[in-house]
Amino acid sequence: MKKFSWRRLNIVLHRDIGYLTVAMLIIYGVSGIAVNHIQDWNPNFVREKQFKEIEPITATERDSVKAEAMRGLGLTEEPKNFFRPDPETAQLFYENLTYSVDLPTGNVLIETTQRRMVLFEMNQLHLNAPKGLWTFIADLFALSLIFMGISGMFIQKGKTGLMGRGKWFVLIGTVIPVGYWIWYQYLQ
Amino acid sequence: MKRSLLVLLVAVLFTTAAFAGGKKNYGKELTVKETTKISDIIAAPEKFNGKRVKVAGPIVDVCKTRGCWVKLGSDKEFEAIRFKVEDGVIVFPLDLKGQNAVAEGIVSVKKISVEEQIKSGKKMAEEHGTAFDESTVKGPKTILQIDGEGAQVETK
Repeated sequence: MKKFSWRRLNIVLHRDIGYLTVAMLIIYGVSGIAVNHIQDWNPNFVREKQFKEIEPITATERDSVKAEAMRGLGLTEEPKNFFRPDPETAQLFYENLTYSVDLPTGNVLIETTQRRMVLFEMNQLHLNAPKGLWTFIADLFALSLIFMGISGMFIQKGKTGLMGRGKWFVLIGTVIPVGYWIWYQYLQ
Repeated sequence: MKRSLLVLLVAVLFTTAAFAGGKKNYGKELTVKETTKISDIIAAPEKFNGKRVKVAGPIVDVCKTRGCWVKLGSDKEFEAIRFKVEDGVIVFPLDLKGQNAVAEGIVSVKKISVEEQIKSGKKMAEEHGTAFDESTVKGPKTILQIDGEGAQVETK
């Protein structure tokens, strides 16, 4: 009978949990980069603006304003919603498309919003938008990451192991976040 | 066998995505039975201050940065109310604009002094790397919003 080995069990668990979490790692990693730069871009949507000019709209009554705006814009399909934020503006909402008409001038702002395919879904999962069961799955994933980090240190023995050069890598990896925080909080 | 399972899994995922639609819930379940008109709240905010309400209306605007609020159009023209949720607790996607929503939360009426407006204006400007002009603050302001807890949005 084979002798029980903690190191062997550790390697097997590290390997199999690694397989199990690889998709989640990619999702969280890609989304992490995407949302890190939220100041510079919208990681979830592609938004585009266009401008158009139509004849000024003189009507004041709601239905007439809507009809004139649709006629001016050449739209035949009824909008999903129609809203007037103020007496001089009318908004026509279609699927992922909004027309904002400045009634006295006839200037129209056309805004389109398209989800970034795959990235939107990744971000929703990463930021736990679904809540509910996903919270539990995400917690399990986080625990798996902690396990992977710790178990990873005990895979190798000897010169390349934790007691060899491994300890220096662990030290550097610890100094980076701790040192950065000290600089950010107290020194800059 | 393995291949069949994989094909089945992919088919289920695509079918689910294709038929997804109807209503989508955000945050807590709605519990209030009666719907309050948004125009009634706007007409008499103090009467509703601190009260839990359920309102309905089209989503006419969505927070572009964090999805932390939506504006619901009133049943009367030229009126809308902000439905604000805690950052990260509910995230409203930008493409909800134009959809019909039913939302529940607590009506909040806040009086903001000139000093508070300047302080928050400066903070916002700092966060966005822009400048804040104090002269734009003309006097104390009253902010009416619904502190949102849950919403149900018609999708597609």
